[in-house]
Amino acid sequence: MPREVEISIIEREFIQNALQEGIRRDGREFDAFRPLELNFGDEYGVADVQLGKTRVIVRISVDVVAPPPERKFDGVFQIVTEFSPMASPAFEVGRPTDAEVILSRVLEKAIRRSNALDTESLCIIAGLKCFALRADVHIVDHDGGLIDASCIAVMAALQHFRRPDVIVEGEKATVLSTRERDPIPLSILHQPLSVTFSYYEEGNLFLVDADLAEEQVRQGEIIITMNRHGEICQVNKYGGAPVEPLDLLNLNNVALQKVKDISKFIQQKLDEDAKKRDAGGLMAELSAENAR
Amino acid sequence: MPVTIRAPNLPTPQDALQRADASDEDMSDDDLPTAASGTSIVTPGETITSDPQWMRGHGTYVPPSTTTIVSTVAGHLHKTNKLLSVQALRARYSPEIGDLVVGRIVSVGTKKWSVDIAAPMLASLPLSAINLPGGILRRRTAVDELNIRTFFSEGDLLVAEVQSLHQDNTASLHTRSLKYGKLRNGLFTSLSGAGGGVLSRRGGVVRSKRQTFTLNTAAGEVDVVLGVNGYIFISAHAAKTGSGTADGKDVGITRLEEAVSETLYSSQNDDMTPAIMGEITRVSTLIRGLAAAGRRVDEDVIVKVYEGAVELEAEEKSLGIKGGEKGVGAVGVVEAVLERLELGG
Amino acid sequence: MTTAGKIVNNEIHLQSIHHQQTQPHQLHPPEHSDGEPETKKQEMPLDTSTYSLALLRLDGRRWNELRRIHAQINTQAAADGSSYLEMGNTKVLCTVTGPAEGRQAGQRGAKDNEAKVEVEIGFAGFSGLERRKRKSDKRTLEMQHTLSTAYSSLLLTHLYPHSTITLTLHILSQDGSMLAACINASTLALIDAGIPMSDYLVACTAASSATTSDSDNSDPLLDLNNLEEQELPFLTVGTLGRSDKVSVLICESRVRMERMESMLAVGIDGCKRMREILDGVVKEYGKRFS
Repeated sequence: MPREVEISIIEREFIQNALQEGIRRDGREFDAFRPLELNFGDEYGVADVQLGKTRVIVRISVDVVAPPPERKFDGVFQIVTEFSPMASPAFEVGRPTDAEVILSRVLEKAIRRSNALDTESLCIIAGLKCFALRADVHIVDHDGGLIDASCIAVMAALQHFRRPDVIVEGEKATVLSTRERDPIPLSILHQPLSVTFSYYEEGNLFLVDADLAEEQVRQGEIIITMNRHGEICQVNKYGGAPVEPLDLLNLNNVALQKVKDISKFIQQKLDEDAKKRDAGGLMAELSAENAR
Repeated sequence: MPVTIRAPNLPTPQDALQRADASDEDMSDDDLPTAASGTSIVTPGETITSDPQWMRGHGTYVPPSTTTIVSTVAGHLHKTNKLLSVQALRARYSPEIGDLVVGRIVSVGTKKWSVDIAAPMLASLPLSAINLPGGILRRRTAVDELNIRTFFSEGDLLVAEVQSLHQDNTASLHTRSLKYGKLRNGLFTSLSGAGGGVLSRRGGVVRSKRQTFTLNTAAGEVDVVLGVNGYIFISAHAAKTGSGTADGKDVGITRLEEAVSETLYSSQNDDMTPAIMGEITRVSTLIRGLAAAGRRVDEDVIVKVYEGAVELEAEEKSLGIKGGEKGVGAVGVVEAVLERLELGG
Repeated sequence: MTTAGKIVNNEIHLQSIHHQQTQPHQLHPPEHSDGEPETKKQEMPLDTSTYSLALLRLDGRRWNELRRIHAQINTQAAADGSSYLEMGNTKVLCTVTGPAEGRQAGQRGAKDNEAKVEVEIGFAGFSGLERRKRKSDKRTLEMQHTLSTAYSSLLLTHLYPHSTITLTLHILSQDGSMLAACINASTLALIDAGIPMSDYLVACTAASSATTSDSDNSDPLLDLNNLEEQELPFLTVGTLGRSDKVSVLICESRVRMERMESMLAVGIDGCKRMREILDGVVKEYGKRFS
């Protein structure tokens, strides 16, 4: 099995010593994200997030299926993560690594379990038909901070996505194509976003958004997912060096600030995208005028 | 929950048991070469001292930027001059040079065997570290390499000595003495977690002068090999042609006789009488009982307990008492025997 | 508690909100208010209605009470270390093998100068309310990962280079606080195995009795059982023995961040008591060797 190449002791010491002096490898502040870029695809529900060198693409797709019998009133929503060998030679298809399991678990808990998406709105006819929404998360380039980037990408894609409208007549449901009627946005109840803190120096020094090298040197991580209203959706600290509880509480405040910033950023990008699309719009298409 | 009411026990043996325990405790405390601090144990995370004059030994650590010594295992505290160490109640055997160990072959390589000696890592036994048959000390040849399985193959038991330790604490063994080599004609017993540690412990096998000895039983002589790693082998006494280990003297390698070398790597058991098999199992059960009762396992104790157990059985037979009255299993028997010994002297 | 078959029509529906797919799907206790409309509230306060009256929980405990804890050490003769732990009706059996040579000789620990900690968690078929085969799903994998990373940094693994320490946990009965019980059982078993660690790693769960609707009237609750876990936002906190330092913190439910503080405080307090209890078990066991 290919394994991620270990970082050398010299590099390790260099990063640690620099951190003690208050300097990060790339000159960022301790609580700064790497430059975040978000692009939407031509189609609805495609989000491409770049966080420094890390790049994640999420695509949302929809299908109509029969709902599982134990949850008749709900639609289906699943998040599928895939680590392709394209991102890092350490990834192998078909054999989930620990990191992959953790990523999909965290996304599951952060987005699905916290009810970010109102799955009831995906129901077409109770017990018979519902929309099955699927978010495919593709890690295209890996340079640390996968969880944060994936979470941003999934939330942005969900907000960008439009599902086709349906007409229900008794037992019969007709799915209308996007030509016939404007597709409708999903009902998003809140926007959970993750912030991963890496800590060093026996839990005395915290970094936001560590890159791959910093991740390899860290003594542990704390993943905090919350929405901009200050509701924690999940906190994960899987072992690692112990930290003071007060620090943990302080991290919540830092996370809240970051989440607010990122939320604003996503919203701004969404607005820009909407404006771009609206410029054309159905009316423009219908008009007889052309560029000629 | 079902409540069962047991018949009241006779008061005398019960009291005696307690008394025996109490007096034994005192005795074992006197036996200790180092002054142990009381009878209570320390547990992980417990601060032993914050006085910087002490040095930390095994089983302790000093948290960064402090001078306090904290225990890392549950066990007894030992002081050796200014050195503080904690001996875990139970731990894997950690090999040391010169240890006599009993091991089992796990895998066979081209020029060496991997041997399970209950240590964190498998030990290795190089082909060059065994006595090759042929009677004289000779170089190992390519033929020996090809025939490696004729000496030891997977699952074989052997007794060996730790010759050297590698940096990561893996041991290299050797069997270059008549005392060592393949084990047969007997029974293997493992006392888990009872292997010798860095210090003398209260229970289990400890390093002592004589790890192998011969026990005289009614059915014949029985050899006992106490591996420091908690592996024990009990076998019918092999009547050696030469001057064997019975008189405690090593035989020079040059004087190895042809007859011995032929049987050296035999995988066939000799014929044994059922009576001696019975005695072998008895000894093995008693040793396990000793370990379970938290007693030290060495020659003296085993001889004493064995004699006591035989006596006890004879008595019970003559009185017509069914066995198992005093306690259940090996521990019960051992405790009963020890109790009698305390009463007797 | 009576679970008279009062499964209201909307009950199934409510359930589907609360339950995540991976969780065993179970019968709920009857609703106190039968006509509860199909609200989309995150937490349905099943027990809080009685809780606010008597300040007693479903099983009669006060807010800061632990359940009955019964622990044994050295239960399996064949293992290097073993333990059995009950926290209320959650029952866990744990054995430690090692430090020993890894399963594949070629594939050694991640870092060559340290021992590797492997964790295997198995569920008994009869452990839940419904008999079902639980394959190793992601939730179990996550628990294994948590234990493995927590113990890798807790144990002094550098003393056993190249070797593997295997923790095998078997869950005999599930009634909430699973991860906490697994951590506590593992700590005992590792102590029994004589593997050096810097301190006890102990864990327990804490919840906030408040729902999103009534924020003033809230108490933190300690050591949850299964029903409480279904209904209330909770977290599992694992600390290093006597210090307040948090080694493991897992919160899987939506909760206001202001609540975190009280939950954490109660959880840490519970951990301290847990340490005393476990320490008592170890000391009691040690008396045999005195």
